[in-house]
Amino acid sequence: MLLPLLVLVPLGFAATHIATSGKADVGPMQLAAAYVVMMLAAHFALVAAGHRGDPLLLPLVATIGGVGMVMLNRLSPDVGKTAAFGLDLDIATTQVLWFGVGVAAMLAVAIGLRDDRVLRHYKYTWALAGIALLVFTFLFGTEVNGARLWIYLGPIGFQPGEFIKLVLVVFIAGYLAEHRTLLRDAVWRLGPIRIPPLPYLLPMLAIFVIVMLVVVFGKDLGTALLFFGIFLTMLFVATGRRSYVLVGVLLFLAGSFVASRLFEHVARRIDAWVNPFADPSGAGYQTVQSLYAFGRGGLFGEGLGQSLLPTAGGRFFGVETDFIFAVVGEELGAVGAFALLALAMALVFRGLRVAMLARDDFSAMLAVGLTAGLGLQTLIIAAGVVKLIPLTGITFPFVSYGGSSLLASFLIVGLLLAISHRNALAADAEAGRVERGP
Amino acid sequence: MTGEVLRILLLVLQLAFLGILYLVLLAFARSLMRDLRSAEAAQQQSQAGIGRLAVLESPEDEPPMGRPIALGPINSIGRNVNNTIFVEDDFVSANHAMLTFRGRSWFIEDQGSTNGTYVNGHRIDRPVALSFGDELSIGRVRMRLER
Repeated sequence: MLLPLLVLVPLGFAATHIATSGKADVGPMQLAAAYVVMMLAAHFALVAAGHRGDPLLLPLVATIGGVGMVMLNRLSPDVGKTAAFGLDLDIATTQVLWFGVGVAAMLAVAIGLRDDRVLRHYKYTWALAGIALLVFTFLFGTEVNGARLWIYLGPIGFQPGEFIKLVLVVFIAGYLAEHRTLLRDAVWRLGPIRIPPLPYLLPMLAIFVIVMLVVVFGKDLGTALLFFGIFLTMLFVATGRRSYVLVGVLLFLAGSFVASRLFEHVARRIDAWVNPFADPSGAGYQTVQSLYAFGRGGLFGEGLGQSLLPTAGGRFFGVETDFIFAVVGEELGAVGAFALLALAMALVFRGLRVAMLARDDFSAMLAVGLTAGLGLQTLIIAAGVVKLIPLTGITFPFVSYGGSSLLASFLIVGLLLAISHRNALAADAEAGRVERGP
Repeated sequence: MTGEVLRILLLVLQLAFLGILYLVLLAFARSLMRDLRSAEAAQQQSQAGIGRLAVLESPEDEPPMGRPIALGPINSIGRNVNNTIFVEDDFVSANHAMLTFRGRSWFIEDQGSTNGTYVNGHRIDRPVALSFGDELSIGRVRMRLER
């Protein structure tokens, strides 16, 4: 399943080079080669380690990432250089390096994590570490574009939000696995109203509310929406109660309304969503340009390397991160954008399958939460860029430029691989029993 | 003239890129479908049990290590050979504990054993609801409830 990458990525690189240089040669291929070789090496490393995890996860991720690499390679000259790893590199090179870090982390987790007890038994420790990191960011973080998301350690900056997402999922999975039966079956009756047993919900709610408050006050709306979605999904899967989801959605709508009244930056986002054309060169500028890009792309796209978005007026922002999906829409058309979403959907499908086959509640809840994280993140940013929901700044997993996002996404895939490896071993043990018979 | 050739070349490359992308997508879709069908077949064969016990530690190898025990709705555990789950261990009572599936959940109840029944390391004094993944200790035998 990885073999098409050998053609796909170099082809994209070549098309981009021809379109931008106007010369009929393939152009530099080092980055494409590095990317493809890296993915094949990761595959062979898993095979060599005798890994029995889901065989489709890595090829899916590699294909999505391959499209992302083609896009970033194309955007690289327009965006300019960044100072990453203490070096002056263009963003495509930086991203390939981050892919290397991500793949290494994925392999370490997939092969190294033989036992999930480290995650399960120290869930409160993980939660506290997450909150500490969050508060630290809030107090000492650097503010970029109105949101305080970055911590700088020397030359390397990272976004703790991406990793807090992982820690939060681990904590909720541990908590729900421990108290699932109680949350599902125990009910307090208040006359005709049935409410869930609050004492059992409270510790989880408390930690969740703390996280949400800090995120909202840090003005990081996309992450807040993502965390909330993950939380509700996990709660629903653990309990099977629709009422939890209903109450959650109502609470969220109420919260959004209050937030839009209290905070100016939330109100601005919503105004820009309702009618971006009211102020097409001001508040609605990003949304309007993104919609134009999809319009120019049409069904089959303008062609690789021919997007106007990166140079549109010279002040379009976030073309390599939040708005990369708009560039995909313009260059590869609705057909290409749809393919990217379909690949993401297949990835979610595989993740939920890992959860279904899991032998214990913790693994199942962990797989559900991690998969929901990837799926919802893709959905939120794609829907935001096409103006289906208010635009919130988060990354498109495996496509957007950004080391923290890439590393966190690869850690998610590593955990899913580790869980599915254990599933396969358990299934083997069972098959052994059937063969021997009574 | 060369501009025209370049334009056609780019169009071909663009369509090739999208074409390969869709071939990959098709390959994924096919393997997802195949997987779904085989999962259905496997489910029909085994008619989805309600749970099993994985044996983590068993000093006398009865129940044998590494072989999960398939569970019925009511399982008695003890050193008496008439129990559904027979445990060969001097620290286990003749009729030690009952593991039952009631409604939607598994419950474990101690049957007045001498050395007690432990769930995740805590001794139980009344019927306790179990989650999948919980660890049972009976005598020196450790088992984990799985689905």
